[in-house]
Parts: sequence; C-alpha cells; structure tokens
Amino acid sequence: MATQTRQREPARRARSFEVGEPPRRAMAAGHVVIVVVVALGLGVLLNADGIRKGAETQAAGWQRDTAIALAKPLDAVSSTLLLDRPRAGLKWALGRSGDDRLRTGASFTAPEVSPPPAEPPARKPVFSAARPLRLWVAGDSLVITPGESIVRALEGTGAARAVAPVDGRISTGLERPDVFDWYAEIRRQLRRLKPNAVVLSFGGNDDHDYMSGLPKGVSIDEFGGPRWTAEYRRRVDAVMDTVARDGRVLFWIGLPITRDADQSRRFDTINRIVHDEAARRPGRVFYVDTYTLFAGADGGYAQYLPDSTGGLVKMRAGDGVHFERTGGDLIAATVLDQLRRAVVLRERTG
Amino acid sequence: MLFPTATFAIFFLLVLPTSWLLMPDMPRWRIFIIAASYVFYGWWDWRFVLLLAASTVVNQGFAVAIHRQRPGALRKWLLAVDVAFNLGVLTYFKYYDFFLSSAQNGLARLGLQLSPHLLAVTLPVGISFFTFMALSYVIDVYRGDFQPTSFVKFAAYLSFFPHVVAGPIVRARELVPQLRTPRDPRRIDASRAFFLIASGLFLKVVVANYLATHVVDEVFGTPDRYSSLDTLVAVYAYAVQIFADFCGYTNMAIGIALLLGFEFPQNFDNPYTALSLRDFWRRWHMTLSRWLRDYLYIPLGGNRKGTLRTYVNLMLVMLLGGLWHGAAWTFVVWGGIHGVGLAWEHWLADRRRARGLEAVVPSRAGRAWRRLLTFNVVCLAWIFFRSESIGEAFHIIGRLFTAWGQPSQAVSLGVLALIAVGIGGQYVPTDVFARLMSRFSRFSPVLQGAVLALALMVSSSMGPEGVAPFIYFRF
Repeated sequence: MATQTRQREPARRARSFEVGEPPRRAMAAGHVVIVVVVALGLGVLLNADGIRKGAETQAAGWQRDTAIALAKPLDAVSSTLLLDRPRAGLKWALGRSGDDRLRTGASFTAPEVSPPPAEPPARKPVFSAARPLRLWVAGDSLVITPGESIVRALEGTGAARAVAPVDGRISTGLERPDVFDWYAEIRRQLRRLKPNAVVLSFGGNDDHDYMSGLPKGVSIDEFGGPRWTAEYRRRVDAVMDTVARDGRVLFWIGLPITRDADQSRRFDTINRIVHDEAARRPGRVFYVDTYTLFAGADGGYAQYLPDSTGGLVKMRAGDGVHFERTGGDLIAATVLDQLRRAVVLRERTG
Repeated sequence: MLFPTATFAIFFLLVLPTSWLLMPDMPRWRIFIIAASYVFYGWWDWRFVLLLAASTVVNQGFAVAIHRQRPGALRKWLLAVDVAFNLGVLTYFKYYDFFLSSAQNGLARLGLQLSPHLLAVTLPVGISFFTFMALSYVIDVYRGDFQPTSFVKFAAYLSFFPHVVAGPIVRARELVPQLRTPRDPRRIDASRAFFLIASGLFLKVVVANYLATHVVDEVFGTPDRYSSLDTLVAVYAYAVQIFADFCGYTNMAIGIALLLGFEFPQNFDNPYTALSLRDFWRRWHMTLSRWLRDYLYIPLGGNRKGTLRTYVNLMLVMLLGGLWHGAAWTFVVWGGIHGVGLAWEHWLADRRRARGLEAVVPSRAGRAWRRLLTFNVVCLAWIFFRSESIGEAFHIIGRLFTAWGQPSQAVSLGVLALIAVGIGGQYVPTDVFARLMSRFSRFSPVLQGAVLALALMVSSSMGPEGVAPFIYFRF
C-alpha cells in the first residue's frame, strides 16, 4: 500500500498545473470527453424547453424536421424527470415565463373587422406640437434601421412622437405565427399604444413554402403558387384591415432588392401582393417601394447609391439585405413625404 | 458555425474524441483537423473555404521561396509581393468600395465625377484575422525568426477552427511547434478550459446580448428619445457589451483549444482596470496589439527615430489599427483618438524624463483617478466605434450634455447590474478565480459535467432569445 502511494505521488505532481496558485489538477482526455458529454447531455435536458422551441421555430426544411424529431423526445424525458423545472423557475423569476411557450396549434383567423372604405378619407387629420401624431413602428429585422430613421425624421418635425421604441423582431413574419404571433401583437399594441400612424415591414422571412397557423381545411402549395399567394394575401389583408381603420394610416415598407438575385425575385413576389393590397386602400395604406428605391443605375443590386451632390453613399449593410443608416434615412424621407399627403403636420419651423 | 449553438455542440462532440483518438498519429490528426476546420469555416459559406485554401497555398509558397533565397533584393521583393497579395485580398473584399466611394465623394465636392464600378462583394468572415496570421508567418520567415513549416502544418495552423474566425491572432511560432508533436492526453488543463468556456458563454449570451437589446441599440438608434443619463449609461453599456462580446468569444476559443490540448495566448487582461491608454493596449485585444507593434510600429522605426517620429508612428499605427476594424471613417477616428492619447502620454513621460524627474508613482487616489480618466477616454472613442457616422457620434456626444432635464427611459436595474458585473468583474483578484478553478479541478468528471450543465442552463435562460452575431465577426 505504501509502495503504491509512493509510486502515485510523482504522477500526481506531473498532472497538476502549478504555474498559477493554487494548483489545478490536470485531467486525462478520456475524462474531458466524459465531462463534455455529461455537460452537454444534462445541459440539453435542463434546456429542453428552449431547445424544443428553437427547433420548432427554425425555417422549414430537413434541418427543422430533424431538430424537432430530436427535441420532442428530449423534452418528454426532461419533463418526466422534472429537469425542466429549474429553467422554468429561473424564467419565472426573471419575469419571462412565456419565453419557451410554443404556439404551434395557434391557427390564424382573420379578425372580425370590415375592410375600410375604398375611397380616401374626406378630411386630413391635423397634428401639431400640442397634439402630436402618435407613431408606432414594428416588423421583422428589416424594420429596425429604417424604423429608427423614421422615428428621428418624424420627431424632428415637432408634430409627431413615437409611442414606443421600434419593435423589430428578428426571424419573424406573417408566415409563422408559431414563431411570433404578429396578428395578436398588432391588436394588443393598437389597443395599448393608440397610434395614429403605423409603420410595418414584413416578408423578409416569409419567402418559404411553409406556413403555420393555417385554418382547418386550408393547405398551401409552393412559394408563389396560387394557394400560397391566396393565403399570404389573406394574412396581409388581415393586418392592413386591422391597422388602417379608425383614422389610422399604415405605411408598409416593401422588401428591397438584395445581393442574391433569387432572393430578390422571391421578395418581388411578396411585394406584388402587398402593393396590390395597399392600392385597394387608398389614403389609408401606403406602400413604400424600397425595391426600386435601392436599385442601382442598371436596375440591379447596389450597395452604394449617388446622393444629390454626386457623391456615393453606402446604403446597404454588408449582408446584402439590411440597410445602413443612410438607407434608413432615405426610406424615412419617403415615408415623411407620404405622411404629409395623408395628414397635416404643423411642423416646427427654424 | 457559432460557438454557442447546438450545431457547434454536435460538431465539437464529434471532433473532441476523434481528435484525441487520432492524436498519437500526428500526420493523420493534422489532416483530420484541417478537414474539421474547413467544415467549421465553410458552414457560413463554402466559397470562403476556397479563399482560405488559396491564402494557405500562396503564403506557404512565398514563405518557402523566401527561406530558400539568400539575403538580397529578390528576397525583399518576394516579401513585398506576398504582403501586396495579402493586403490586396483584404482590400478587394473589405476596402475597395470604401476607398473608391471616398475618392468619388472627395472629387464630387470639387465638381468632378468618376462613376466608379463598385464591387459590393460579401466580406468573408474572419478574413482580417487569418490574413494577419498568414502575414506574421511569412514576415517571421523573412526575418529568420521562424523556419517555414510543412504545407500541412501551415494549413492546420491557419485554419485551426478555434481561432479562424475571430482570433486570438496566434503566431506561427506559438502554434506550429504544438502541431508537430502529439499533445499529452494525460495532462489537459481542463478546469481552466471549462472556466474560460463557461465565462465566455455568460459574457456573450447574458451580458453582451442583454445590454445590446435593452439599452445600447435603442439609444444609439434613436438618441433624441433618450435623456443624457440614458445616453451615458448606453455608452458605458456599450463599453461592457463590446468587451463581453469579444472577450467572451476569445475565452471560448482559448478554452476549446485547451480541451484539444493546445495553448493560445491570452487576449484580454481586465482592460477596464487600465491606468493609461498604454496600459489599456497591453490589456485589450493583446494579440492584435503585439501584431501591430511587431509588424508595423517597430518596422516604422518605433521610438528609435526621435520624439516626433515616435508620435507619428503611434498615430499611424492606431489609425491603421482602426481601419483594420472596418471600412469606415468612424473606425479611423476611433483609432485617431487612441493615437492622440498614446502620443500625449508619451509626450508627458518624455517631458518628465527631459527634466530629469522620476516616473510618477501614483497614490491610491491617483490610481483611481487615472483608471476613471482612462476608462472615460476609451468610452469616448467607443462612441465613434459604435456610431454609423462621425456626425452621429458627435450627436451622441452632444446628447450627453444637452438632455439632462428629460426623464430616463432606458436605465433599469438589470442594465446597471450587468454594467457593474462587466466592469466590477475586472477588479476581482485573479486569485479568486484561481481558487475556484483549483476547487473545480478536484471534482469528479461527472460532477464537473453537472456543474457545467447548470452553468449552461443559467446562461441560456438569462440571455435574450436567439444568438446575436459577434461584433468582431465583421472584422
């Protein structure tokens, strides 16, 4: 026994890191693999709710199907062993109990509102510093930079103010109410914030042939197909009819031309639907055509565009889809022009 | 592939045991790690792999050619061509449109038109990092500081997945010797590795992402909506965000490399405890600082060519260091502020020396004042780094002084707590972490795994939904 101890001592010294004080015990590769497997295995079970939601909310395709196939049984095991409780408890303590909730069963039904009249409103509402226009901006990630520019431009008039920070939610849209239910959110925010003007931007994540929340008996075909188009049109209609009533005006920022030609074509398909539906609601819904606004001289994608002085200004972000601040400002100027046609803004002078 | 994702977890679960199983047979291991690294890198866009491979082939070719030449003009020319190749690639992807549009804008002010053809190409992720690594290898070979290694070892060095997209910028002489001989599978500094990975995850997923989504993006996006107090808190929050984001990433990278048996250099050393800007640059992005020192500042003459030239060199290095971060004038101004600050500190030290005075040993209060001053100068520079234009940066600075009457909207307990964690954590004595690691290293593997799983759960639950991109991936 004593011999064994003597033999083990030098090995233990050799396997510890004494550079820093106090020394750390070194680990063998096999043990490292065990730690990593236990950490990830148990970590997966402890986070099963979040992983399940992450799997469900992925873009449609084999990766999503595989992720769901793996996440569902893990979630069941985690729930049976009560391993989902610590995460749920922590989320509750942080006031974010709803984070991991899934809305997979939620079916999107059009709100029970009649469409607004086809004619523009007879009188333009008047807004001033004393009675400022209440503005709300929301949508997917493409709305964030233009939304901020719009808030700056409108608040700069002195006759408008944003009633909430720009609500841009990445990877959301109208196709997937299970990822984020914009229909419910829009209704909730209209009641809460009571805006006079709303700026929305959707579609950047909707160029897929997959939709959740389909009503019973409704199915869709491929992206841009007749049944896909009918269902997407129904959703756009519902949003427009929900927002553009009670004297509210809606500005819908269309999808821009992008670096990827295929994506640009798909975005154009969505733009056509939104454009047509906006045209059916004159004076109440305004379509902001960013596709042509950001096209280069040759009609294709351009990262830089000339300004009024002949200088070149970087308008688009490095990913070839999103906007730089200058691009946002260009959209804001267009929205402000359109807004001045819809309402009277008694703007601050000097 | 991002570190804090399920995809990477699966990738690493496959790579870790395979790497150790193949380790005794280094030639096979090196092929395996190159393949794994290319999969990791190509996950963003497979075309980027071609660029990385091309950079490997060309730089290795030049390194070998330079090594074979006797000292002379041809050797110099070979180095010049290699440097031109690397900077050319970097310029094509990163700076071409920026330089051309800036030239056009300058000419437009004079009433001249160029109508240049701009490229609008996608910036390959990590290009600035692996280009600098390749350059350091070839320059070290030219200087005779390092012998060229085999093609496969160089390919493994350049593409090694823990560092390929955002550093640390590891020198060939640091990593290549480790790639030659098998790592000892009985002697892995696992507790440090796990501590670095867990802390990196917390810094990125909780601290950086929370501050970005709860205060920084909103205040920098629409500054007129927020008070001076909000703006000040947002600036401090951004200082913590960018530290947590980048230090979090490099901590994870260093930890992952350690688990595979490889030691990377340290990249951060509590930068917000710095007593001066010189001290800050010894603690912030340390592998970039020493790269700029060894391959730019010293070749420019460093401090050997007189006082004025020292200041000019410092300024040049910091301006180019700023531009390295991105093709925008805001980064140049950021570098300029640091350059002016460093030159000022050198001037003060030179003046004392000229008067025959000893360097000041600050009192406790003096040290606190210096730390506060340095941190605030760094924060001032961060405003330019974060803003989308120089005009916007000045607007933010203006808001710091002109909106004190407004009620605060963005300051919350969570934001203040995380700023305190981000800055205060840098003042915790390293001994505290050393004790924690030491105690952790004595746990059984299963218990260590369970503790890490809990840490994973806490970070994942506390962080905002989704994985925000790392700031330094743009560079």
